Amino acid sequence: MADVREDILARLLEVVATIPNIRSAHRNNIDITEDQLPAVIVLDGDEESDGASDVSMKQSHRPYNVQMTPGIIVQVQDNNVELGSVVTAFRQELIKRVLTDTELNEQIVKTGRFGNGAIRYLGCQTDVGWTRSGFAALTAQFLFKYTFRPEQL
Amino acid sequence: MIDYSAMLYDPIYAELGVEATLTAGAAGEVAITVIDDTRPKTNTSGSVEVRSVGPGAVARIPELAGKGVARGDYMDAVLAFNGRTWTVRSYELRGSPNGEDVGEVRFLLKEAAIG
Repeated sequence: MADVREDILARLLEVVATIPNIRSAHRNNIDITEDQLPAVIVLDGDEESDGASDVSMKQSHRPYNVQMTPGIIVQVQDNNVELGSVVTAFRQELIKRVLTDTELNEQIVKTGRFGNGAIRYLGCQTDVGWTRSGFAALTAQFLFKYTFRPEQL
Repeated sequence: MIDYSAMLYDPIYAELGVEATLTAGAAGEVAITVIDDTRPKTNTSGSVEVRSVGPGAVARIPELAGKGVARGDYMDAVLAFNGRTWTVRSYELRGSPNGEDVGEVRFLLKEAAIG
């Protein structure tokens, strides 16, 4: 049994947990307390396949091209004056680690010469606010393109 | 006309008020009475909520003015009460039926230690 989607998400959590100065890493936990900050949360997100546009007569369990878009949120509570540069530093580490992780690229998604998968950074959004100090969140999106093989489930 | 300072604010502050020290502007360090108005605060990013607190305190404008603290002194003043020390990051005025100048000010606070 192999479920690439689950493998990607599980590895993503491992990767983001290694970002320096992160206090807690979560998957689909949508209720964080300030004692857990800085926190990083992996949200499973959506995926689409090429099934809808496929007009061939191939059997339904033949491979599909799938594009999944998990979200990753980094939340920080810090001195308001320094929040911007703190979030920027987390963004750098996040993007670098996801796009260059060997296991994600070569063993799971199989990018480049390892297969026809792909990992792309799509962009990010930020939110800022106040608590007992400054608060900021960065939400980053990545696209993972992989070959989905129903017969391996 | 009803004197809301005497009829409303005096008994409320006598019951709920706590001693505080405000350090602001030319007035320096003054003793005032505030009502602790710290509230739960939730920030949401995407679907993820972070729970913390939004510290705040309410003071009476006539008391502040009487002790030499002008409105221009509010920002960045240091306010100590209930065992914690905060910096005023912003404020909002709460007018009284007798007018803005005899109403209250709600100080929006941040931890003094983080600047």
